[in-house]
Amino acid sequence: MEIFQLEYITLITGGLLVLTGLWGIISQKNLIRMVIGFSLFDTGLHVIMISIGYIRNGTAPILDKAVDKVNAAGQIVDPLPQALVLTAIVIGLGVTALMLAYVVRLHKEKGSLNITNFKDLKW
Amino acid sequence: MIKKLIYILVLVGAGIIMAQLFAGFSGSTELSETARYYVESGPEETGAANLVTAVIVTYRGLDTLGEVTILFTVAAIIAFFMKTREQRDKPKRRVSEILTTGARILVPGTMLFGAYIFINGHLSPGGGFQGGAIIASGFALMLLAFPQANLSHKTIRWVESISGFSFVIIGVLGIFMAGGFLDNSILPLGNFGSLFSAGAIPIIYIFIGLKVGAELSNVVGHMHEKQKEI
Amino acid sequence: MVTPIFIIATGLGLAFALGFIPKKHINLTGILSFLGLAFMTFISGQWLFSYLGNNELSQFIFTAGARPPFAIALKMGQAEAMITLLINVVGLLSAVFLYDKLKQIGRNAFIIYLVLIMALNVIVMTRDLFNLFVFLEITSIATAGLMLLDSNLKTLSAGFKYLLATSLIAGVFLIGTIFIYSFGGSLFIDDLTAIGMAPLKAVSVAVFLLMISIILELKPFPANGWGLDVYQTANPGISSVISGGTATAMLFALYKIMPLSTMQSYDILIWVGLITFLGSNLMGLKQSDARRLLGYSSIGQIGLMISIIGMKPYIQFDIQIILLAILITHLMAKAGFFWLTGIVGNTDISKWGMIRKHPEMLFLMGTFVFALIGFPPFPSFFGKWQLIMELSSSGHFLWIGLILLGSLIEAVYLFRWLGYAIKKETATQSSIDIRPHKTLPTIIFAVFLYGVGYLASFWFPMGGSINWLPLAFIAILFALDFLPAWIKNIISIAGLSYYAYQIIPEQEGLYLIFAFIFLIGGILTLIPGFTNKGKRIGFYPVAMMMFVGMGMLIEAQSMLEFFFGWELMTAGSYFLIIRGHRSMPHALSYMLFSLGGAYLIFAAFGIAFAGSGNFLMSGLSTMGGLGGIAYTLLAIGFMTKTASLGLHIWLPGAHAEAESDVSPMVSAILLKAGVLGLIITFMAMGGPNNEYTTLPYVLGWLGAITALVGNLAAAFQEDAKRLLAYSSIGQLGYILFALAMMTHLGWLTGIGYSLSHFAYKAILFMGIGAVVLRLKTHNMFEMGGMIKKMPFTFIAVLMGIITLAGIPPLIGFAGKWLFYNAIIEKGWYFQGTIIFFAGIIAFLYCFRILYAVFLGQLKDEHRNVKEAPIWYLIPQYLLLLSIMIFSAKPEWIFQPLGSMLAPIFPQGQLVWNEGGTAFSDIGYWNGSWVMYIIGIMFVMIFAWLFIQNRKPKKVKQFNIVYAGEKPERPETTHMAYNMYSGYNKALGFITANGITTFWNWISEHVTAMGDSLRKIYSGNGQTYVFHIILFVIIVYLFSNGGF
Repeated sequence: MEIFQLEYITLITGGLLVLTGLWGIISQKNLIRMVIGFSLFDTGLHVIMISIGYIRNGTAPILDKAVDKVNAAGQIVDPLPQALVLTAIVIGLGVTALMLAYVVRLHKEKGSLNITNFKDLKW
Repeated sequence: MIKKLIYILVLVGAGIIMAQLFAGFSGSTELSETARYYVESGPEETGAANLVTAVIVTYRGLDTLGEVTILFTVAAIIAFFMKTREQRDKPKRRVSEILTTGARILVPGTMLFGAYIFINGHLSPGGGFQGGAIIASGFALMLLAFPQANLSHKTIRWVESISGFSFVIIGVLGIFMAGGFLDNSILPLGNFGSLFSAGAIPIIYIFIGLKVGAELSNVVGHMHEKQKEI
Repeated sequence: MVTPIFIIATGLGLAFALGFIPKKHINLTGILSFLGLAFMTFISGQWLFSYLGNNELSQFIFTAGARPPFAIALKMGQAEAMITLLINVVGLLSAVFLYDKLKQIGRNAFIIYLVLIMALNVIVMTRDLFNLFVFLEITSIATAGLMLLDSNLKTLSAGFKYLLATSLIAGVFLIGTIFIYSFGGSLFIDDLTAIGMAPLKAVSVAVFLLMISIILELKPFPANGWGLDVYQTANPGISSVISGGTATAMLFALYKIMPLSTMQSYDILIWVGLITFLGSNLMGLKQSDARRLLGYSSIGQIGLMISIIGMKPYIQFDIQIILLAILITHLMAKAGFFWLTGIVGNTDISKWGMIRKHPEMLFLMGTFVFALIGFPPFPSFFGKWQLIMELSSSGHFLWIGLILLGSLIEAVYLFRWLGYAIKKETATQSSIDIRPHKTLPTIIFAVFLYGVGYLASFWFPMGGSINWLPLAFIAILFALDFLPAWIKNIISIAGLSYYAYQIIPEQEGLYLIFAFIFLIGGILTLIPGFTNKGKRIGFYPVAMMMFVGMGMLIEAQSMLEFFFGWELMTAGSYFLIIRGHRSMPHALSYMLFSLGGAYLIFAAFGIAFAGSGNFLMSGLSTMGGLGGIAYTLLAIGFMTKTASLGLHIWLPGAHAEAESDVSPMVSAILLKAGVLGLIITFMAMGGPNNEYTTLPYVLGWLGAITALVGNLAAAFQEDAKRLLAYSSIGQLGYILFALAMMTHLGWLTGIGYSLSHFAYKAILFMGIGAVVLRLKTHNMFEMGGMIKKMPFTFIAVLMGIITLAGIPPLIGFAGKWLFYNAIIEKGWYFQGTIIFFAGIIAFLYCFRILYAVFLGQLKDEHRNVKEAPIWYLIPQYLLLLSIMIFSAKPEWIFQPLGSMLAPIFPQGQLVWNEGGTAFSDIGYWNGSWVMYIIGIMFVMIFAWLFIQNRKPKKVKQFNIVYAGEKPERPETTHMAYNMYSGYNKALGFITANGITTFWNWISEHVTAMGDSLRKIYSGNGQTYVFHIILFVIIVYLFSNGGF
């Protein structure tokens, strides 16, 4: 079955993670849980990215004794999505850290972590 | 309840859109033209054995610069955001003996390991970000074990600034000495696969490692101080 | 040339290097940051300069010594240079504005700020999708950081919502990007467009995700609650960067990625943009927080620009130029406006009256409001002009309608706000922060707006033919506003005389008549201004603006020039009207009706352009198949200025509350601009025997009813100036009726009336204005007996009334004679009866004003009242003289008029004999003889009265006995109070405020609609995220017609 190939499994897992994360963001009232939701969403994206770069039966794109320069093209997976995902992870880390810092401050200001309590601005 | 139902419906909608995206994807058996270029020309152009590193530091160096900038910005924001107005050092909990002792042994090793990871970034899995994160985890461990300890934000700032500034300068040197901004061939590419190879990549990765380590430690440190305050 | 990489290197390198500088040298940090921003500005400016004037190919800048798609490439073409320059200028000036705030927070604030501006530059320059993602994230993180410059609960919660929303949006972008790579094998935009991706469903979904996430970054309605919160709470310096810089960069990103998508996606942009434009402005209606209101306005304008990007396939003209004109205006005006909210400090728009203490700040605010609405001479005027013309020629009238409607709604709240600032009383004593680093950026952008407006006129066809000299004159008047009023009055009269000298000799035919009314009339009505002591700040520039605008109507060869003049005139007259006491609501309704009318005219011009293919005024006569609609639009548009029934509700208040010497300007002169417009419309329809017979017929009825209602309402007024104002409505009804007859005699009457209404209404308003000036009341029952105190004024007013009422021997009678001839000849007996009846009612108010003001008893408190100032009498008597001359020799005016009309209406001309007798088909009339006979009769009756009444018995004022009862409201015993109560009981229902009620009903419901619409912004960040996801799904469903 095509669908049981590694890249499909990871791809679908990633997609489900994204949806789970979205669910967390829109349904959880607790700020920390929302941030966790975002983190899941982000992770799902990373998994999807990795799946995209996968080449069937390929190995890590590092040239060493096992993978020589000449035949590398047939042996390794796509290095680009891997590079991109590293960047995306770091960015996600930064965003998550900033969100958490915000949560800490919000909690300090109002003593609550419930997002419905932060509706001072509207209309 | 109805609300939940609506959420589910919306997620189903999002899922359908994503499924249509996935439907166009067919597992690939060979590299795309772009990837092929990296594999075929990457080693000659950059001299890095780790192709991911070649892509990150050289070909997509601008992304990496942006990535470093994000961490730097986040650290800067948290620094003024979490600025403690008055220092109230009242640790709430006693730290266990095991943690303290463990930290004494583990922290130096962790730091060293972090440094190893970023110095060898062009040869083996890992690199500046990973190494930096390991260093920062060492600091985190230290702060857990010794809550009274204060990170010297000044030192951290200097490390951050020097490494960040050097990264930009190396990038600019590329314009004058090589093919463009962030071109790593401003230094000799060296012997493929050895530590001193891949032109400026190891240098950049060292700076990135230091910078990421410093920034993450900074974030951890500020959060830590904040916690003490609360 | 400095490579644009240095924009990045400078921004980032400096941000990193600032860490070296010790905390105590914060000023050094600041100076270095400014230098860095200035250098970034210089780089983009230098690139723009190198592209000017030559069509050099855009430059790609490769990084890492490899070519794209393998390495990231940047592009620095003409567009990129322009956009980055704009962003950097906003960044630099906003940094100046924020200087004290940034300094207070410290080094980190400067660092984050530099990073933000640098990231915006990269968003514009990069050609790589993933790189775009990275810098989108940097932008959102840096913005979330800068939100905290003012750290309180509001900024915190707004910042968190923003961060959550933008991270999610970036995630959507990332999914799109990675799948584009999967399908296209590249991340380089130019490659992807060149090779073209497989026409798979999945590919289009990926592109859709890219597009929708950039759209979401631009805060489309309704998925934009998080954006509004940011606009509201961020420091104004940051809001200006978000509105001016970030939005600009995102728009460019959208523009950049659009070639990846299909034609169908352009339609998505159009609809999302237009709905945002309309919805956002609608919701702004009820907003009272200054910054949130600007947020609504920003989102609306950005929505408009999104839709313009989407209109690319439908527009032949270079869309970049249209966009640029609108973008520059929005960027500068909105950034300036946000800074202004930082200067004023109070965020409640109804408290903005405090800005009046600094007229220069008020001037800036006015500049920004008019620029945002798209008035000339600002660039957006030209941009919108070209846009509407292009949409019209491709037949997209629905879009035109939505754009104009949205602009009108935006005008409602912006002008209400401006009205508060100019007029509303405020109790708060809070001061305005006019430190130079706050005001300087604001002033720079205001000046830029004018400068760029001038340049922008040359980007568009026909724009170059606009006469900028008079505008420069107005600018000089603004600069000289510190001088005393009398000097400025002399300068203005001199300037206007020179302008008249330039224009009038070149005119012929009907244009000559109107040039005379507009410009000579302008000079005459400026003369009373000499009575003003002090500086009269702000009066002369705006008065000149109105007169120059009217002059441009005369000069206009093209529709563009005409519309330019029309809008200029509207702007000037708005400011004149709002100067009056209690004028705030009236000025607003004047502006809204005028703008509404102007937009109808605008749309009709669009149809004319579509029909004729050029911008010339002559194009109005080749409308293509839509002539009926276009001429109706034109007629309604011009009737908002002539205040025909239904569109008149602004006039009484506006004219009555205006200053004594402004009323004649806006009544005697300004209304004639509408008449000119109607004449142009009717002429374009093609003379007497055109195919559009329904329109004149309906307008004839409308004119007749307007005359009746206007006159009747005038008779019931207690306020002398309001009486005159209503009488203007009635008189303009006559003119409309006369012109609508579309016959030689009808037009002779109409134009004759226009001239005589100009003369006598100027006299009456100046005369009554002088009385009001002396007595300090408008109420007629508080006047009386002025014949003794102001005899010269009385004589002038009496003559004016005689002319108005059409009593022989003065020229008004000639008008009536012609009128009835024309009606009989045309055969409009029914309508003619109404006109006749209206003429009788006119006697009621004519008598009332004479009696109540000048006759009767002098009030005790008015014993020391002096004659009107000489400066008021001079123009009145000059006008009176001309009335006398033309009354005695009517052939001097009607004969040339007749020959002007002959080419248009050859049938049914008057025949004049040697002795000055005019013959129509049904009668004859000799003005001179009427004059002589009436003169003799007058002398005889006067002599008889004089002999009879040698010893009149004088009645003392309080020689009345109330049988011990003291009336509760003493004025009710005055004869002039509620003078025509009997008539009012019988006929008052005609003048009942049904029309005002109707318009109020509309405005209430529209506001209520906006109010209920904005309830979706619950304030809950989670809901906003939900909106975003829902928005993606719904737009997807619409664009695909299902999943």
